Amino acid sequence: MKHTVSETAIEGRHLIKEFPMGNAVTKVLRDISLQVTRGEFVSIMGPSGSGKSTLLYILGGLDTPTSGHVYLNGTDISGFDDEKMSRIRRRKIGFVFQFYNLIPNLNVEENIMLPLLLDGQKTANHQEQLSRILEVTGLTDRRRHTPRELSGGQQQRVAIARALIGNPEILFADEPTGNLDSKTGAEIMDLLRDINRRSGQTILMVTHSPEAAKSSSRIITVQDGILV
Amino acid sequence: MKIIIKYILTNVKEKKMRTGVMILSILLSSTLLFVSFSIGASYESAQQKMARGMAGSAAVSVSAKEGLIHTDEIPDLLSIDAKAGILKGSALYHENGYYETIDLAAAELSELKKINPPRLADGKDISDFSGSRIILPDRFTSKYGIQKGDAITLQINGESIKLDVAEIAAYDTFFLRHTRGATALLPLSFLHSLLGYTDGYSEILIKPSQGVSAETLKKDLETALPAETYRITETFSEDQVTADARQKSMPFFLISFFSLTMSIFIIYSSYKVITLERLPIIGTFRSIGAAKKTLTGILMLESSLYGCIGGLLGIPTGILVLKCILQGMSCSLSQGIEIPAVITPFSVIFSFAVAVSASLLSAWLPIHRTSRLPVKEVVLGITEEKQISGRLTAAAGILLFLFSVILPRTVSGDMLYLMGGISLLGLIAAAIILVPLLTDRTAVVLERIYGIILGNEGKLAARNMRGNKNVIQNITLLFISISAVIAISVVGDFVTTYVSDVFRGAELQGFADGHMEPAFVEQVKGMDGVEKVLPLHILDNRLQAEGIALGRVEAADDLDLYSSMLAIHYTKNTEQSRAAAAFGSERVILLSEDCMKQTGFSKGDTLVLSNGTNRYHYLVIGSFKSRATDAEAVIPSACAVSDFGAQAYDFLAYTAADPDAVMVQIRSLFGETANWSRTVEEFNTDALSTVGTFLQPMHSMTYFILLLAAVGIINNLLINYIQKRRITAMYKSVGLSSRQNIKMTLTEGFSSGLIGAAIAVFVSYLEIQTIFLVAGPKISMVPRLNAVTFFFSAAMGIVITLLGSVVPIVKSRQMKLVEEIKSE
Repeated sequence: MKHTVSETAIEGRHLIKEFPMGNAVTKVLRDISLQVTRGEFVSIMGPSGSGKSTLLYILGGLDTPTSGHVYLNGTDISGFDDEKMSRIRRRKIGFVFQFYNLIPNLNVEENIMLPLLLDGQKTANHQEQLSRILEVTGLTDRRRHTPRELSGGQQQRVAIARALIGNPEILFADEPTGNLDSKTGAEIMDLLRDINRRSGQTILMVTHSPEAAKSSSRIITVQDGILV
Repeated sequence: MKIIIKYILTNVKEKKMRTGVMILSILLSSTLLFVSFSIGASYESAQQKMARGMAGSAAVSVSAKEGLIHTDEIPDLLSIDAKAGILKGSALYHENGYYETIDLAAAELSELKKINPPRLADGKDISDFSGSRIILPDRFTSKYGIQKGDAITLQINGESIKLDVAEIAAYDTFFLRHTRGATALLPLSFLHSLLGYTDGYSEILIKPSQGVSAETLKKDLETALPAETYRITETFSEDQVTADARQKSMPFFLISFFSLTMSIFIIYSSYKVITLERLPIIGTFRSIGAAKKTLTGILMLESSLYGCIGGLLGIPTGILVLKCILQGMSCSLSQGIEIPAVITPFSVIFSFAVAVSASLLSAWLPIHRTSRLPVKEVVLGITEEKQISGRLTAAAGILLFLFSVILPRTVSGDMLYLMGGISLLGLIAAAIILVPLLTDRTAVVLERIYGIILGNEGKLAARNMRGNKNVIQNITLLFISISAVIAISVVGDFVTTYVSDVFRGAELQGFADGHMEPAFVEQVKGMDGVEKVLPLHILDNRLQAEGIALGRVEAADDLDLYSSMLAIHYTKNTEQSRAAAAFGSERVILLSEDCMKQTGFSKGDTLVLSNGTNRYHYLVIGSFKSRATDAEAVIPSACAVSDFGAQAYDFLAYTAADPDAVMVQIRSLFGETANWSRTVEEFNTDALSTVGTFLQPMHSMTYFILLLAAVGIINNLLINYIQKRRITAMYKSVGLSSRQNIKMTLTEGFSSGLIGAAIAVFVSYLEIQTIFLVAGPKISMVPRLNAVTFFFSAAMGIVITLLGSVVPIVKSRQMKLVEEIKSE
């Protein structure tokens, strides 16, 4: 089922990112502005070094722009301090990374519940939600396993489940299939597409793979720090 | 090859902090090792010096069996390097009720300087030394406030003789002694006249030629001089002195042991991380054709480089530290003993070799592991450490632990030392193996506790400790460090107490040594506040057992009182009650364990005790050891009176509500009669002033071990941070704030400290038990473990870990989150 999109989930305005390289300054993002509306599944594509991941991390609040503003649900989050930004990451944003980034000594359940735990919530109150997410991601029988006992695809499913546990406004994914074989990659993309369609979850994904990008509703291309 | 070396050198340059910490840990441990070896040797040398005392470099003493001896009576032998005649007398110094025995000595100064030059406190030479003058050691003059130029009165042969203090000597060389009292130097002609002689000496001290042993010299002299005219003896027993000194230098060797263990662990953990970090590069080199051997060789070369630098810097640092410690000792010694710094080629070579070997060995394991990995895995970066079954390691750890606890209890004799060493290593190794299991189990408990107290962050911090290699590494290093500090402190304190407090465990609070009639004893018993009085007859060198001369025989009325007053430890616990029952009017004798060994008697034997004229049969009823008395045998007082004519008492021990007040009255009772009466407190203060300073270096060394521990922990925290920063980044990516990170890191640090401290307290307690089990047969004293030492060391460990948590907290603030997350 396709959702009607009407509100802006996230917006970047005049985003510029510069990195000092010795005496020179490299401009990675050159005044990018974009909007992602609620329920959209947007893919950002572009060649290596084009700035697509930098754009994703800035929009996701893991990096800060040299200048420009990021609006989440209409609120400018670019000036937020660490405490506020951390709260946003726990409650409003979910992240999925290429290398899964799971805590190796926590089991699947604990990894998934991490944002809630950090938010001071009692895990007992979220068991139903956990079971649902485990079912959606096909991890019900793996809930007590540690990451090292899982395959790459399963680990990425855990990462997706963790990103979704807090019912985020937007899910950011950085090359979610980049570390997986094509079959597993396709399964992960099916899962993301399914989540987007079933629950209207807004997703912003960086990918190299045109195959993966096909799952999205819109494709943005970044080249040399600008949208093309 | 060149390019790989260049790569490693670049790495060293870039990782300055870690390289520095590694070199510093090797440097510190080689310094510690060197200093502990050298200070042990220096201490041994100082002990020998004290034991030699007046004899100095002389190894043999020759005296006439009758009358005096002259230097020309000694033949010119090749084995003789120098000789000096010593004329001896004795005197009594009396002040404020205190009696002090002074051994008077005189010699030709030119001769004396060749074997044992007297050293003046002001560093000047002795000149114009004639007439009624005396040179006294500063240890004596400072005690009684005597200055150069003062006049003192001595009782010599019953006469009061007034002498001028010509110089104050350092309590060193000629004036050193290991018995109570003082040695004084008088002009030769003056002492001759005081003793009523015109010439001759009491003994001739002989220094052997270079390379000639005391035994050879003695044999040569025995061949040259008729046995019926001369008595030839060695001036001191080198073996005995060495054995005594070794016992006292035990803490220094413990320090070496722990510093080495820590050092190996520090280098091992550093190399584990280094090789892990370099894995991708190693893979790249392997993929382009670098042989396994070449890479292993180069990495080992790098570690040997660290070892060489650490070792080469460690030895001069060690020499500096040694000199500072010895200098400090000399300064703090009011007696001014000059302690030579003994630096042997062995200690230099050994310390350097250990620095290099420790570095190589601890680096070899991780390098070897890496080199065994398949090239494909290394190149692709998909290596995973093998998971060893938790149950298997726990079982191995528990078995090793039990083995280490039991092992030293199953052997005796010299094997005890070897098994004791293995047990110490085994205990540490078992604890290292069991740390992961213990950490996991404790973390489960902490998770619940913190969940209630600190909320989810505390819960997560505890949960994060489970299966966390960094935390396990931290706890391991911490427990090794804390247990080292505890073991060294306890053993050090014990040695101080053991050496200085001979009356430990004995009930007496004061004693009087002098001629005391029964009425005197009755008067003491009647003094206000006096609780118990133990009078003894002393039969010094007056009795023989089956023809074997007994040095000191004590006779007491009440054996139970004697045992409690002088802390008598019976060889078998059951012996005391039986002996006390038999100690009435029967002829029974208790022998010291040493005497039992020397004479070959055993319990149940009947021996003939004789004073030359009277001979009586005595039944041996048991054996004992005691540090409070030198008695070789104890017999009932009634027997000493009836069989050997003992009348007056010679020694009296007492307990009282106010021992000092009683002592004043006892001294007053003695009046002008020579006596040596002290409260136990006075005696201990005297003893501590002599031996306490010798043990000062040991306490200084404890700081070094703490420094090494601190370096290790900093090194570990750095490693920890390197490994942990990615995890921190992961947490941050899902919403961990800086405040939460601080809370979690501090909770984790505190918990690591707590677990490390708890393990350390337990391990060090067992280590101390092993150490005293090994040393036990030679000491007649049980160590008292002070809970404060354990608590303080544990608390320090927790504080250090908490302080160390500041590094990852500060560094994670500067962390580039995206970089950490994006890299695998």
